[in-house]
Amino acid sequence: MTARKASAKVIPTEAIPEPGSRTVAMDGKDYLVTNDAMFTFYQRSKGELSPYFIALRDEKRILGCKCTRCGLVRVPPFLTHCPDCEFAATELVEVQQVGVMNSTPPITYFATSLFQRMAPFGRGRVILNGADTALSVNVYTTTGILVPGLVRKGAEVKVVFRDDRIGESSDIFCVPTCELTPEQVEKKGLQESDINWEAAVIPQLPKASKEQAAVYEGSVKEIASVIEEMNRTERAKQDIADWKRDIQVKTIGGEFGILINDGDIRLRQERLTSPDFVMVCEDLRVLLDGLAYRGSLTDAVIMKKLWISKNQEFVTIFKLDRMARSLVRTSKR
Amino acid sequence: MTRRVGIVGAAVTPFRGKWLEKTYYELAQMATREAVKDAGISIGEVDAVFYGIYNDIFERTCIPEHPLQGICGMQDKFGIRISNGGATGAYTMSAAHAYIAAGRFKTALVLGVEKATDCYDFQSMSATPEVIKTIAWSGDSFFEQQIGWSASDSYAEVVLAYMDEHPGDLKPEVTAQVSSLLSQHVRSNPYAQRQFDQVTPQEVLNSRLVVYPFRELEICVYSEGAAALIFAEEETAKAIARNTGKPVVWITGVGEANEHSFAGKNQKVMSRIMSDYYGAHRAYEMAGIKDPAKAIEVVELHDAFVHQLEISCAEFGLVPLGRADALIEEGLMTPGGKYLVNPCGGLIYCGHAVGASNIMSAWSARNELINRKLKTALVHGTGSTVAQYTACLVLEHD
Repeated sequence: MTARKASAKVIPTEAIPEPGSRTVAMDGKDYLVTNDAMFTFYQRSKGELSPYFIALRDEKRILGCKCTRCGLVRVPPFLTHCPDCEFAATELVEVQQVGVMNSTPPITYFATSLFQRMAPFGRGRVILNGADTALSVNVYTTTGILVPGLVRKGAEVKVVFRDDRIGESSDIFCVPTCELTPEQVEKKGLQESDINWEAAVIPQLPKASKEQAAVYEGSVKEIASVIEEMNRTERAKQDIADWKRDIQVKTIGGEFGILINDGDIRLRQERLTSPDFVMVCEDLRVLLDGLAYRGSLTDAVIMKKLWISKNQEFVTIFKLDRMARSLVRTSKR
Repeated sequence: MTRRVGIVGAAVTPFRGKWLEKTYYELAQMATREAVKDAGISIGEVDAVFYGIYNDIFERTCIPEHPLQGICGMQDKFGIRISNGGATGAYTMSAAHAYIAAGRFKTALVLGVEKATDCYDFQSMSATPEVIKTIAWSGDSFFEQQIGWSASDSYAEVVLAYMDEHPGDLKPEVTAQVSSLLSQHVRSNPYAQRQFDQVTPQEVLNSRLVVYPFRELEICVYSEGAAALIFAEEETAKAIARNTGKPVVWITGVGEANEHSFAGKNQKVMSRIMSDYYGAHRAYEMAGIKDPAKAIEVVELHDAFVHQLEISCAEFGLVPLGRADALIEEGLMTPGGKYLVNPCGGLIYCGHAVGASNIMSAWSARNELINRKLKTALVHGTGSTVAQYTACLVLEHD
């Protein structure tokens, strides 16, 4: 769960490129590629939806609309008149802040460019007590990375309000009630700062046995070989074009660095002075299998076989997974 | 009294991950040039044009079809653009069919084009996160865009809800086999983005989770490309066919449905794709098909995700709901099986140039009907949040 930054801009500054252009050659011809953007700013009215969003922002309440004829309670209150009842009027009602998941929520590991820093996250639909329809919400766990199976259809969840609210659907999210105290479940307007979020702690590794040391030595050699092959493969090199990361790998038996630098990847058997992030795995064969496309590194992180010090570095993990696949694709041609 | 409408010409450009050397102007014209050539007519003989272009932001302009009118030789004639999410191409064919069937025109150009991967994310230094962000502007702008809605997670909602209802279906080893099978089909499609990307089921299972429950090799790939068809009313179609020597493939059924975008009581049934059910069955009714499991031989469906392909086939009435894995387990779509499903490789292997994709599917279905001397095909497009939109067409070869 990533807290909202009060200083954030509507368009994240780091997403904005410099003006410019470059020439790219292909089949003996030059083509011009220009940095560009389409952007429009808004002062957008929430119109008839305003009471819902104002209640989220200012009162930590959740409103729905109840049809005056059929009594159906829709949350969010996305219409003023019920189309099922010849457009009978609806009236705003408050609903509870606990409900159940309408179905098992998907989990996004590879997000859009706007949400990469927020991933991994769940997004599903909760039917709050007192409501008939489902509200689309983010779903988080207080215990680290959301993994498949943790939240399923029918799971009871609690709405949590962000500390910094601006009157948007992202002002709230849900966590499973089984991860909260009875007081927290009961509390109306529970905020993110009321919850103890499990902090990421670098895993401690035991000392290597003789057998583990041998596995380490063998795996490092194999990883070095795969990385060399990646460096000889144009498609794999393209996967890390314009990308730079120094990664410290720690495992039982030793540690080493993986250096990615604009289409080039190297293994260096040393402790890096200032890595961009750290990978930790008990068994180095997990990393080897991922790089050799016998499994995926993304899945290894999800299944807690591979630990990374920064969740936003999933983007680098994806690139390594892609390189592994590029290697296999190229070898088949 | 409506008139019969047939397909008398078809063409696609190669679908590619990136067309560095062409803009969407040229891609659109390439497909148009080849389609009129295939029909053996002059562009001057085409009465109207129907554009299928999904997303303004991909083309970086708000009425992207306007330059195409002159570029494609259709100046001073009727032109209309259809934009219906992923189902854009199928809805474009539906619209063109309706105008011709109503007698407004004798011939029409159905032209789909999309150029997705000019979008670029300068943070990850790659295209895909920005491409899927561009699509994510299609989510509900008040309630869902701000919480990370994406096309993948919205379809995953439907798939997971289906799996909640049918926990024994859509088994990972089966979805992996479907993907592997499609990768074999694509080998004979020279226009495909991944023509030589044949994968084993194990490789599919080894590919990374992108959005649970979807793995990388179970998701369509974004493409750039164009596809074009020439539609004609019966007498004109027959005259063109006499000239070219190619048979007319008739559009005998068309059906569409758009569901509710909100879920819960009286809203969208999350575990179903009712739009697929209604769209297909309305098309069957128009075509006079009583038992689709007996009539349909070729299925060219919009496989945004392998799991959705399976559910869609169940909604089409080709396998029972809850037993979609029968497509593989009972050999219904394996080589020599009852159904030829996505012989072009589908959107997962041929590629997904959104506005062009379903039109490419119709191009493929027409080829298969003619070349294999089969009778009936179903063409399908799905789109919008939670698989909300569907359009289907039944194609028949005399």
